[in-house]
Amino acid sequence: MLVTTALITGLGLGSMYGLLALGFHVTYSVSATVNFAQGSSMMLGAVFAYVFTVRLGLPLFASVLISLSLCAAYGALVELLAVRPFARRGSNAWLMATVALGIVADNTVLFTFGKEPRGFQMAWAQGGVDVAGVHVSYLQIVIPAVGLLFAFLLSFFSNKTRQGKAMLAVVQNPEAARLMGINVPVVICGAYALSTAFAGAGGILIAPLFNVNADMGTVFGLKAFAVAILGGIGSAWGVMLAGLLFGVVEALITSFLGSTYTQILTFALVIVALALKPNGLFGKAEVKKV
Amino acid sequence: MIFSIFFIFTCYANSYYVFIMATLALTAISGIGLNILLGLAGQVSFGHVGFYAIGAYTVAILTTAAKLDFWLALPLAIALSAVVGGLLALPALRLRGPYLAMVTIAFGFVVENGAAEWREVTGGQNGIMSVPTIKAFGTAFGERGVALLSIVLCAVLVLGFRRLSRSQWGAAMRAVKDSEVAAESVGLNPVAIKALAFALSAACAGLAGALFAPLSGFVTPSTFAFLQSILFVLVVIVGGAGTLGGPLVGAAIVVLLPEALAGLAEYRLLFFGALMLVVLWLAPEGIVGQVQKWMRRRKAAVLPTLEMLLSPAREKTPLTISNLSIAFGGVKAVTNVGFTARPGEVTSLIGPNGAGKTTVLNMLGGFYRPQAGQVRLGNENIAGMPTWRIARAGLARTYQTSQLFGSLTVLENLVIASPGRGSSGSGDEKAAEGLLCFVGYRGDMHARAADLAHVDRRLIEIARALATRPAVLLLDEPAAGLSRADKEALAALLGRIAQSGIAVLLVEHDMDIVMGISNHVVVLDAGTPIAEGTPQQVQQDPAVRKAYLGGIHERPLTRTSTNEGQTLLEVGKLEAGYGAEPVLKGIDLRVNDGELVAVLGANGAGKSTLMRALSGLHRPIAGSVKFENRHMEELSAHRVVAQGVVLVPEGRQVFPELSVLDNLRLGGYLRKEIPDSEVEALLERFPRLRERLRQRAGLLSGGEQQMLAIARGLMGRPKLLLLDEPSLGLAPTVIEDLFASLDRLRAEKVTILLVDQMAGLALALADRAYVIEGGRISASGSAAEIAADGALEKAYLGTQ
Amino acid sequence: MFKRIVFLVVGILAAFPAFSQETIKIGLVTALSGQSAAAGEAITRGLQIAIDELNTAGGVLGRKFELVRRDDEATPAKGVLAARELVFKEKVTVLFGGLDTPVSVAIVPIMNEAKVPFMGPWAAGTPITKNGANPNFVFRVSAVDEIVDKAMLQYAQKNFNTKKPGMILINNPWGQSNEAGLKAALGAKGITAAGIEKFEGSDVDVVPQLTRLKAAGADTLFLVGNVGPSAQVVKSLDRMGWKVPIVSHWGPAGGRFTELAGPSAPSVHFVQTYSFFGNQRPVGTKVLKMLMAKYPDIKSAGDVTAAVGVANAYDAMHLVALAIKSAGSTDGEKLREGFYKIGSYDGLIKSYKSPFTPDNHDAINENDYVWTQFINNEILPVGMKK
Repeated sequence: MLVTTALITGLGLGSMYGLLALGFHVTYSVSATVNFAQGSSMMLGAVFAYVFTVRLGLPLFASVLISLSLCAAYGALVELLAVRPFARRGSNAWLMATVALGIVADNTVLFTFGKEPRGFQMAWAQGGVDVAGVHVSYLQIVIPAVGLLFAFLLSFFSNKTRQGKAMLAVVQNPEAARLMGINVPVVICGAYALSTAFAGAGGILIAPLFNVNADMGTVFGLKAFAVAILGGIGSAWGVMLAGLLFGVVEALITSFLGSTYTQILTFALVIVALALKPNGLFGKAEVKKV
Repeated sequence: MIFSIFFIFTCYANSYYVFIMATLALTAISGIGLNILLGLAGQVSFGHVGFYAIGAYTVAILTTAAKLDFWLALPLAIALSAVVGGLLALPALRLRGPYLAMVTIAFGFVVENGAAEWREVTGGQNGIMSVPTIKAFGTAFGERGVALLSIVLCAVLVLGFRRLSRSQWGAAMRAVKDSEVAAESVGLNPVAIKALAFALSAACAGLAGALFAPLSGFVTPSTFAFLQSILFVLVVIVGGAGTLGGPLVGAAIVVLLPEALAGLAEYRLLFFGALMLVVLWLAPEGIVGQVQKWMRRRKAAVLPTLEMLLSPAREKTPLTISNLSIAFGGVKAVTNVGFTARPGEVTSLIGPNGAGKTTVLNMLGGFYRPQAGQVRLGNENIAGMPTWRIARAGLARTYQTSQLFGSLTVLENLVIASPGRGSSGSGDEKAAEGLLCFVGYRGDMHARAADLAHVDRRLIEIARALATRPAVLLLDEPAAGLSRADKEALAALLGRIAQSGIAVLLVEHDMDIVMGISNHVVVLDAGTPIAEGTPQQVQQDPAVRKAYLGGIHERPLTRTSTNEGQTLLEVGKLEAGYGAEPVLKGIDLRVNDGELVAVLGANGAGKSTLMRALSGLHRPIAGSVKFENRHMEELSAHRVVAQGVVLVPEGRQVFPELSVLDNLRLGGYLRKEIPDSEVEALLERFPRLRERLRQRAGLLSGGEQQMLAIARGLMGRPKLLLLDEPSLGLAPTVIEDLFASLDRLRAEKVTILLVDQMAGLALALADRAYVIEGGRISASGSAAEIAADGALEKAYLGTQ
Repeated sequence: MFKRIVFLVVGILAAFPAFSQETIKIGLVTALSGQSAAAGEAITRGLQIAIDELNTAGGVLGRKFELVRRDDEATPAKGVLAARELVFKEKVTVLFGGLDTPVSVAIVPIMNEAKVPFMGPWAAGTPITKNGANPNFVFRVSAVDEIVDKAMLQYAQKNFNTKKPGMILINNPWGQSNEAGLKAALGAKGITAAGIEKFEGSDVDVVPQLTRLKAAGADTLFLVGNVGPSAQVVKSLDRMGWKVPIVSHWGPAGGRFTELAGPSAPSVHFVQTYSFFGNQRPVGTKVLKMLMAKYPDIKSAGDVTAAVGVANAYDAMHLVALAIKSAGSTDGEKLREGFYKIGSYDGLIKSYKSPFTPDNHDAINENDYVWTQFINNEILPVGMKK
């Protein structure tokens, strides 16, 4: 019983972390930079979806589509404003700039969307089925499914499509990629858009289980970063697996040792895991260059 | 002075300003600590609040529960932070970039949550209230006292940081940050240095925390949240990482800006975020960094000094190499190389590109572990030792691409390499000044190495190598990119170094230098020695001539008629370069439709720069590039490709993790749909790729990769194919294959501009050819004319 | 050189406050951004409505009130800085605190040293008012954890015949303060808890913690958490299909609990100091009207979120005005005495009669608590609607 509930909780949360972490993966593998305020992207997804569905009364499908497009646009903005000006000069100030932009985004939402957490109920999300005597809501099945689907799509996209290959090419050799006629700045910007759309999708999915507020992404974003790093950041599947693992371990600690130890132990395990596997659990060693 | 104003202000200000001053000082102290890590050693930490918390809690617990005196608790708090910092460094030092960042973030969380949960000791979420204030000589300090103490300590730490940053250790940290490779090569151990930086940095944060506890009178876990760590990093980055004043300015902004915005109430964070973004845009190197950069530009160079004779402290020992071999992934890169570099002589190691010269140097210097053979320095076999130990044994080297410590000053670059590392009384600084004169550096000794001109960087790199007091000096292409006059000065310098009794081992492409100053020349080709002797002997050696010129007179020139088709590419007065001295100094060149035009010249002549300029990878300084009568000197690379001009870059540049097929398809990226028949046609042309179609391109041999790169270029259906050194590093039989493929392409009327070292082979294919020397066209004409022209031999083997 | 510029800036900043001695400045240090922003807004509104009302009536001692607010970002370090700024630079007459107990606890010593009255309209931590200082400048118009915890146990025993309660507490200082209070209350009656579990405000799924409590045989849950996290507990219980009585601190009142928690929202019985629903005394009707006039987003009682924050702040402000009036001065020490001299005040929460005495700085006691539940979007006394 305890194990089953822990697994269900863990897999659901873990795929959330995985989804956000895929966002880190996408930008890192194209440009070796990430949006440190990825949590804000997630929050924007949930807030947009709430506004379009509940306040403007659009059908769910349409509002999800619009929300994800807006998230993608925000992602491009992050790249243009907070990453490109610094990465171009080889400065690592993008670390701070993305954080600063995240603060601006969070607070802008706070004053436009509102300060109260809002409930985002979706009728179909309420129901569920019983698995091994434990009730599982549909969303808890949908979230891992979507997570795995995205990981699959991403790895399909990057391994099978022309655009995906182009993205991979940019990481491996930006200069040669330009010689193939690939517009490298646009690809990097696109990666940010995609990354933010992933996070936005995560936000929309979590909203019915959680709530919608301006601050909702902060902790998720951090855990997702831990997951991305644990997964080795370079592979979509590695990141997704690390997400599931992280979620399950977290839930198991809570179930068996008690919530007192959850935060301390999970983060301590992150340190231990990275000390033992410096390139992440599923990552490959980078070639040492002289 | 500044601090005394602060001090006096704090003495009289009201409680609010006192508290602000104290907060400012504590934030600055943490910032100084983080600056050691981030600014000096180049390691980022998003967990510094953890050390701050450890310091604060240690003092709070010891002075409340244990009733210990603050003055006893303080050193314990600092020591504990430093120890934890050192421990954290152990796993952290194996990690790089985001991985390191994550470990530090996790550490911060563990500390914060640990403080919240370890209730018996830390008071849990509600923390420890009423931490007693500091007492000394029977009087209580009060918050004003703590504030004054903080300001004093902050001032002390600023001085301490200055000392550290100018000391051997500080320079060592910056050296590790700038280039671990070079740091090891001057004998530094990066692991120990980074661990030290971590511990010192943690100690500072711990000190700030230890002062925070009695200042505020309470500690709670929420005071030490993740956001605070981010603010610490912000302090350093906004102020200017690595600068003395950076953390102070950063702390002033991070502490005072929110206070100035306090009236905005709930909108404060919004504005704070936005203003931070603006500050970062305006000064990405930090405010102090930006100001310094600006002031540096206005400083003029100064003082020439007396020339000083170099007196190496080591015995004169020869470097004896025997049977040295290494293979990469089954491919033999260097086989059975053996020779001796004698003290007092210049020994040159030459060979066409890809012959394995740099690989030999890398084995000598310890970057590669030789799979067989010995390297004896005197009586010691140094083969396989780590770089820093080899460096200490007396072998110094310079690099093809400058590996100076960019953030150190010229002088510091030398002092850090000196045996005493600048410790007081070692006289290293004086010796370093002398060395700078000796190598002929006339600039500012306190300028940052990163801001120097190319030629000065070369000289300083040599001076730095000399500062290690070497017995043997290895130089990897020191003349690359230098002007004629600078090259002559360099040649004279190398001669003088040899005269002082050092064994000089030179790898160089400029044959005038090599032939002019060498006592002994060793020629490598495809990883094996093919000739050895005096310059004259080597120049006459037929094997050497064949290796260099590709048998220029042995091959029939297949093209005799000159094609006068429509002009496709027209280059006029093209200038391009990377530093002050342009590499290309006015190139005029024309390619007609259906022609194969060769551009020949020694390494460093500017051939590759020309190709990069034509393909849009490198924007020219002046001149025009017209393709089909449209200007394209301003276009960026991907748009040049769209015009139909495709470069197959030097060194192949395949996408190593993608399959051969994917590489090919990416070649046709702009065409979106690529019919299978076209891939099939290419595979007919390059049959060896067919067998490897599904393999990752990184696993192919050099020759196969070159085939792939050309095939990939052809997938773009170029109107003009630019080939940059296609034969580079390939075995002779493979080169024959390759040129056979090029010959077929030529027969199919693909227009090609070819740059290659293998002059004979290139001329055998070419309709016309240009010879570049020193960034200028020194000859042009039909293949036959060029083959007969002396300019070519002069360009390749130097004046005889 | 830059140091001198900084110094100059500080100097200029210092020159600012001296104007407008005419108004009586009321300071507020609370969370205005982040997770608790809504609570800060509630306190702001309660204060502003009261101040508007007082100013329209001509103010006190011929002077009008002015509200000066600072964001403490829910951290004590920021809070003490803001408190110092308001006290020493803005020279506020009275400082109001926010909802975070640790911030208030950290501010208390500053206020006692500066001899400026500190009024708590929200934070319920016991040691805020019982801080051991003499003279004590800290007053409160809000619930007190210690008393609420006793009341929670009493209510559970009476209504649900609780024998083995489990605790599910938010992992923050508020949760920990109530953990201590509940343990003490249980200990006094010789009961031991089935289990004590904590959860994070960001936890989406609390099922693992609740499963542990269920396995330990808990027959009632004591819930302490803000509105969002409380809703997560209810949703998780729903998923588990565990129907268990829930007795809660006032967290659910902080927002749209029904919208957040779904159909099982009414199962949570929580303590309140005030509710804008149901039959209102004239004061209640008047205040609601003023709120609707001033804040367009308030269209009905359901939009007054964190009603306790609004109500406590409103009453507290009026009590402060009365204290100033009876002291006849804005001097801190005289004003402190003034609080003891307040006679009666017909407020929103109740009719106060000598609300503060030298032994008791808390104006609200256990008799003022009402047990409520959410029915649709209204907070109603338990059992009022079936």
